[in-house]
Amino acid sequence: MDATLFSGYAGAAGSYDEVFSAPGELRPAWRRFIEATEGLPRSEFGRRWEQAQRLLQQNSLAYPDPKDPRARSHPWELDAFPLVIEAAEWRGVAAALRQRATLLDMVLQDVYGPQALIKAGHLPAEAIFRHPGFLLPYCRPGAPPQRILHVYGADVARSPDGRWWVLDDRCESPSGAGFALQNRIAMSRMLPDVIHECRVERLAPYFISVQEHLARLAPDRERARVVWLSQLAGSANYFEDAFLARYLGYTLAEAGDLAVRQNKLYLKTLGGLSPVDVLLRRPNSENCDPLELSDASSMGVAGLLQCLRSNNAAAANGLGSGLLESPLFMAFLPQLSETLLGEPLLMPNVATWWCGDPKSKRYVLSRVSELAIRPAYRRRGVNDSRLLELSRSELTAMIEANPTAYVAQERVRRSTAPVWSGQEVSHSYISLRAFAVSTKDNYEVMPGGLARVSAALGPLDVSLLEGERSKDTWVLSEGPVSSVTLLSAPDEPLALRRGGVDLPSRAAEHFFWLGRQSVRAESLGKLIRAVALRLTSEQDAERIPELQLLIRVLAELGQIEPGYVVDEIKVQMPALEKLLPAAVFDEKTPGTLRATVANLAQLAATVRDLISLDTWRIIRELNDEFQPTKSDDGFLDMLVKVDGLLASLAALTGQFAEGMTRTHAWRFLDFGRRLERTLQASQLIRAVVAEGGGSDPAALESLLEVSDSLMTYRSRYYSRFQLGAVLDLLMTDETNPRSMAFQLVECTSHAAQLPRESVVPGQITEERLAASLLHLIRRTDPQSIAKAYEAGDEEPLDSLLTTIDTTLPKLSDAVSHRYFFHSGSAQRLARN
Amino acid sequence: MKYTIKHRTWYAYAEAAPVCHNMLHLAPRDMPRQVCSDYRLRIVPEPAFIMRRTDWFGNFVDYFSIEGSHNGLEVLSQSIVRLSPPPKLTPSESLPWEAVVRQSTPEASAADLSVYQLTLRSPRVRPSVQLRDYALPSFVAGRPLLEAIIDLTARIHRDFEFDPKATTVHTPLEELLRLRRGVCQDFAHLAIGCVRSMGLPGRYVSGYLRTTPPPGKPRMVGADASHAWASVHCGPLGWIDFDPTNNALIGESHISIAWGRDYSDVCPIQGVFVGGGEHSMGVNVDVIPADEKAA
Repeated sequence: MDATLFSGYAGAAGSYDEVFSAPGELRPAWRRFIEATEGLPRSEFGRRWEQAQRLLQQNSLAYPDPKDPRARSHPWELDAFPLVIEAAEWRGVAAALRQRATLLDMVLQDVYGPQALIKAGHLPAEAIFRHPGFLLPYCRPGAPPQRILHVYGADVARSPDGRWWVLDDRCESPSGAGFALQNRIAMSRMLPDVIHECRVERLAPYFISVQEHLARLAPDRERARVVWLSQLAGSANYFEDAFLARYLGYTLAEAGDLAVRQNKLYLKTLGGLSPVDVLLRRPNSENCDPLELSDASSMGVAGLLQCLRSNNAAAANGLGSGLLESPLFMAFLPQLSETLLGEPLLMPNVATWWCGDPKSKRYVLSRVSELAIRPAYRRRGVNDSRLLELSRSELTAMIEANPTAYVAQERVRRSTAPVWSGQEVSHSYISLRAFAVSTKDNYEVMPGGLARVSAALGPLDVSLLEGERSKDTWVLSEGPVSSVTLLSAPDEPLALRRGGVDLPSRAAEHFFWLGRQSVRAESLGKLIRAVALRLTSEQDAERIPELQLLIRVLAELGQIEPGYVVDEIKVQMPALEKLLPAAVFDEKTPGTLRATVANLAQLAATVRDLISLDTWRIIRELNDEFQPTKSDDGFLDMLVKVDGLLASLAALTGQFAEGMTRTHAWRFLDFGRRLERTLQASQLIRAVVAEGGGSDPAALESLLEVSDSLMTYRSRYYSRFQLGAVLDLLMTDETNPRSMAFQLVECTSHAAQLPRESVVPGQITEERLAASLLHLIRRTDPQSIAKAYEAGDEEPLDSLLTTIDTTLPKLSDAVSHRYFFHSGSAQRLARN
Repeated sequence: MKYTIKHRTWYAYAEAAPVCHNMLHLAPRDMPRQVCSDYRLRIVPEPAFIMRRTDWFGNFVDYFSIEGSHNGLEVLSQSIVRLSPPPKLTPSESLPWEAVVRQSTPEASAADLSVYQLTLRSPRVRPSVQLRDYALPSFVAGRPLLEAIIDLTARIHRDFEFDPKATTVHTPLEELLRLRRGVCQDFAHLAIGCVRSMGLPGRYVSGYLRTTPPPGKPRMVGADASHAWASVHCGPLGWIDFDPTNNALIGESHISIAWGRDYSDVCPIQGVFVGGGEHSMGVNVDVIPADEKAA
């Protein structure tokens, strides 16, 4: 590839173009890129790009689509071209952002401390005290100065004259650093040689600085216990949080996983409460402590503010930091820079007027249609695009009614850069989110960032969710690039560890249910497949004697309407073909196959940081694929999809068995699987027998088929199907990995090995329950039960199954009670 | 005047709760005419952690946590407070209310943000056109502020009926204006809302009121309750407290605990607990004058 790749490309009239200073004149940074890509044929370039795209899609680090939370796999579009910036230019950008972060932190410290800026009139008192994000519990008057802004993000853009401008400050908890890193990983695979030859600054040193800084906030740097406090699974930032927490080596927690005890912060783990020194905070400040911020929200960790105030833990960013995301501060920052730092801003922010100032308001009203009107008090997560649609007179009326609530800003005509469609190159507008992290006495800026592109100018102003694609940002180094990674130095001996009592108890619960749902999906899938295969068989339905029984079993298990099975099968046939796919794919009714699969995927997402990429990929794909398609033959489509689902579940079982370290995470998962399999077996046997299948060879054969034990049975007894032998294989045979006895042996072993306080003597409840069930099964004589049944006495079998059916939920509850102690929602005491 | 105050609050949960976190505004702060010489707190069950701090307004806050299964909670505070008589005020000589408004702008009061801050809306009290309309008849042009306040106090007392069932802690002021009934918290919020709607600084005071038994009858033990009233900043006179529930400027019967922008800043007890199911609560307050034998 050479410069002809850009032939036909032109920036937008009136915008600065990142690549060309004049037609045909490459800017120096891009000259290096073009030289480095020379010899790479266009077709090869395209092939590599597609691979990189695929890689990103599989990792699914995408934002959930806010309009449709289920469409989580909204593909992440990475553009083939990076945004390339020269070293000298970046030095200026980085210096400006360091200065700005320093300034913002000084303002935060003052606003929540002595308020000298307000008293001296440098910041209008109204702007602070009217601000809905300024909450008194954040204030620490009289406390020694302390960093509040630890991580900072800035949205910057370049105006037509080539200058960079700050468009937005992100102080609450800037997102996007994980995406920048993902983009870099993908680009490194796509163009390894090019990145090397261009001497692109690496991103890893920035993340090392993040680790170092957070460690510094702990009393003992060497043993800093950092927890990444995420929002709930499924929130916009969750996947990025899971990815970065894993990359940085931090435990990912939700507020419910944390607790304050004796004014200290803890993570609730299986091993008990584990102390936490530093909280890397994602939720908005007001959602962090339901005790003190109760008027704002009921989310968070009760007692957290007091614990932070007592310096028993540190939060990055400090609570209240989001205040400065409001654009109104941009109206004052240029002057504040002079006042506090004695120097002008190195990078200007976009010109801003706060309408609370009468002079500014008059000016704004005279230029309403040219300026961008925005709410003065922005809060993270609140979309302000509504104002873009208002007319001039509507805006004027709105400002007049409540001037302090609005600011006006100049619009920046952003620079352009090429994007590649796969066939051709066109221009798009650029917004760059840059990141800075606090160091001991300054800030360090990530050499790179998340560039977003959009063919139109407007959307980029709204939020990080907007924009059509992203770009990796390359900052070119002047010298050789140092190769640091997050791995520790080789000469440093590691303390050997066998994990994981530090597994958060919430994660343990999710693993337990992940195990249960995966088996449930499998059992249901097998039964549905057995029915569907018989319905599509060449024989007439009447000539398949067990079909009607299997349909009744489906009804018995609540998968289809119970009334359905009464009618003659001939009449039912066409209806069942319609009804079954609808029932199977019904996501709204709990317990259906589709709902089970959806729940499985949801649970997996909540422990995304703790399962392997391959496992995640299998679950994601089976969830994506197990959806109804609009086709004429819904029944056949269902059969094909159930078949595919069962194959994926088998692969998943393999991952669980061979791909997971035997930590407590695995133990809870497997415990859940064993427990669910026992329950499913019991229910299936009961349903078949209850429907009179106990003495029907065809029914017994299909019971074995659905229980995955037909091959073994045939190898032992050929085609003679008798209840006694069937019950032995499915219940009491400990060598059959599908038998109840086999499951219960495993359950008993898991129960004995779960973490516990060593002082408790004897067996704990779940150990006792599992052992008693195993004992019951071992005592059972399948032949005598079968003999009684055949003689018309169903009681022995019925009472055995009843004991199993009632004890298993107790076992499940016992595990919940002991280990999943994060559960139980917080509520507020009544006030008088 | 000297008082012993006993304030007991108890909660009973339907099920045991493993942990609760609480914040108390129960320790009376010292004020220009008030000295708290003793304050004791007894909490059952014994808290695992307790500490005292002062909040943004200088009030005392006791934070504590109970860790370990418990079925309920009891908080008993006992304070000894001495009050001195209020200064003689001549309402007609106070500044015209407009002058105080001018002194309360951010420019004029920059050095004292604590006063300016109290002219603005707060979580429970948002100045509004309706409130201003209600307040206006008391604020005729040039009227001395204290006269206006005394008139406003009398009007609220006349127009609103005391009714513990009419409102909750979440009833908005607009709704109160429509209902015309409520409790002391509501009337205090209403008065503050009126004052702020006129551009004046107003604050919420939480405290106790000595109740006077009917002639010839002894004071009923535990019949008292925590009380709330309003305060307005009167320029050089400083903060003047008034009680719209009882149509009076406060004297030696009002014992202050804490003050803030509104109820949400100084709620006597607020807490969060995990599990525990439904819960019920009870309060009982004794304000015992020193000349009376403690019950």
